[in-house]
Amino acid sequence: MLSEEPNFDRPIPGMSLTHKLGDRPWQNPAEFSTVDEAIDYYMEQMSSEEFMTQLADTLEMGVPVTTLANVIQMSNAMNGVHNLDVGIMVLPIIMEMIMLIGDSAGIKYTTGLDNPNKIKSSNPTRESLLSKVAMKYKKVVDEVDFTEDKEEEVEEEEPKSKGLMSRRN
Amino acid sequence: MSNSYDTARTIYMNMDIENMPKEQPMKESGLLTRKPTVEGMDYKNPLVRVAKQLEVIRNFRNGEADDA
Repeated sequence: MLSEEPNFDRPIPGMSLTHKLGDRPWQNPAEFSTVDEAIDYYMEQMSSEEFMTQLADTLEMGVPVTTLANVIQMSNAMNGVHNLDVGIMVLPIIMEMIMLIGDSAGIKYTTGLDNPNKIKSSNPTRESLLSKVAMKYKKVVDEVDFTEDKEEEVEEEEPKSKGLMSRRN
Repeated sequence: MSNSYDTARTIYMNMDIENMPKEQPMKESGLLTRKPTVEGMDYKNPLVRVAKQLEVIRNFRNGEADDA
C-alpha cells in the first residue's frame, strides 16, 4: 500500500558507519566462540532464580517457547556473546531448558512446534463469518452452469514476422 | 513472529536424538578402562555434542514429567 506522506523514520544510508570501528559488539570477536562455551554460558544464565521467575511469567502469558528461544539467542548474538552460527546450534538446548523450567514450574506453555500450515482460529465470530462466506460462494458456484461457458479453443496463428533476421519456412 | 520463518522450530524438529546410536554399557569397571566409542558418532562435531547435551536435558525433563 502506498502512503501519501513520505516516511522519514528510517536509518540514513551510511548511518551504521558513523560510530568508531569496534564500538559495536558485532564489530568485535564474540566472547564465546565454541558451542561448549556457549552451552555453559546459557546453563549458568538460565539456572538463576531471577531468570526462571521472569521466564515463568512470560510462559504464562502464552509466548511460545520457539519465539522466546529465538529472542534470547538473537539478543546474545547482538550483544557479542556468541556469533550467529553458535547461536543457531545452541537453539535446541535453549528451547529444552525453557521447557524444563516450564515443566518444573507446572506451567501449561505453548511450544510453538505445532504444524504452521494448520490454521488455528479461536475466534468464534470469525469462524462463523468465514463459514457464511463459504456457504454463499458455494451456492453461487452450484448455480453457475460451466458447460455454457465452454468455447472451442481457437489456435491463434502467430503473426508472420517481416524482419530481416526472421526465419523463413 | 510467524511460524513459517521460525528457525527454532525447524532446528528443534530436525534434532533426531531418539535415533542416535546408543552407548553400550561398559563390561569392565575401573579408572583406567578405556571408554567404549560409539560408531557413527563424531564427538568433534559440535552438533553431536549439542545432541548429547540435549538428550541429557530431555531425559531429565521426561523424568520430571513422570514424577509429577
